[in-house]
Amino acid sequence: MEESPLHPFELHDWIPISLGGLDISINKAVVMMWVVVSLVTVLMVMAGSARKLVPGKLQSLAEMMVDFIRSMIMDTMGKEGMRFFPLIATLFLFILFCNLIGMIPGSYTVTSQIIVTAVFSFLVYGLSLVMGFLLHGVKYLGVLVPPGTPGWLVPLMIPIEIMSQVARPISLAVRLFANMTAGHVLLGVLFGMAISGGLLIGWLPFAFTIAINGLEVGIAFIQAYIFTMLTCVYLGDAFHLHGDDGHAH
Amino acid sequence: MPPSQDPLYAGLGQAVRIGTDLVAALIVGGGLGWVCDTYLFDSTPWGMVGGLVLGVVAGIRNAYRSAQRWPKT
Repeated sequence: MEESPLHPFELHDWIPISLGGLDISINKAVVMMWVVVSLVTVLMVMAGSARKLVPGKLQSLAEMMVDFIRSMIMDTMGKEGMRFFPLIATLFLFILFCNLIGMIPGSYTVTSQIIVTAVFSFLVYGLSLVMGFLLHGVKYLGVLVPPGTPGWLVPLMIPIEIMSQVARPISLAVRLFANMTAGHVLLGVLFGMAISGGLLIGWLPFAFTIAINGLEVGIAFIQAYIFTMLTCVYLGDAFHLHGDDGHAH
Repeated sequence: MPPSQDPLYAGLGQAVRIGTDLVAALIVGGGLGWVCDTYLFDSTPWGMVGGLVLGVVAGIRNAYRSAQRWPKT
């Protein structure tokens, strides 16, 4: 009866595959990723195939989503950021659908595995580094010395800035992973209390389970939004050297 | 869909951001200091102490920086 609240996050190999020592076994998370990818693809292709002047339900939903992502890119990166539109739209839709499909009881939240979020965040951060060095050359190292730093502070600022740069992909990965995991653990604990509490008091945690379920759907949206927004911000920093401090300089 | 310009979403986004920004820099600072201590210089505990202090500074700086980006309403 007693079960660890972390039990639902354990993964077991369904079809063990080993390719030259590399473990590429099929498990629940992999299957869920396939489901998400095919769902997003089918939905977007269906929405894009009609192309009516007066959009139907699905088409207007897709147009809203594309418009939302475009305004996010325009706000943070400006016009030249539009060349990253495919990457950012893919990230947003994948994370959003992973989060939302994870809310269905019995399914699996792929984004509650830190390796998934870490791959995305290190990919994004690596891309921003490559872009920065391609565009600015060695001058890109200037991000380590923010403008307006007095000369005697430079030896102190460089280690601090290195740390705040290294912290970026880590906070990006940990934020998404921790929010999804914590939400599902909370739901599991509350629902366990509702079952073990019986009719007399069990209705109270059950009501909380329903309320927090609603909150979790909101968090699923917000976390997908934040992940992609920060992706835009980091990529935008690579374009605009020292644009980070906003309009102050 | 979340409306892009909804102040509630923008505000929640900022709020969720800053907490992790603080903690992540602290973890990186402590971790780098610990690596310096155990593998590079054998200077226990001073690398970790210095790393944590720098991590706190970097975390607060990150949080301050993202607060500067807040839309003025």
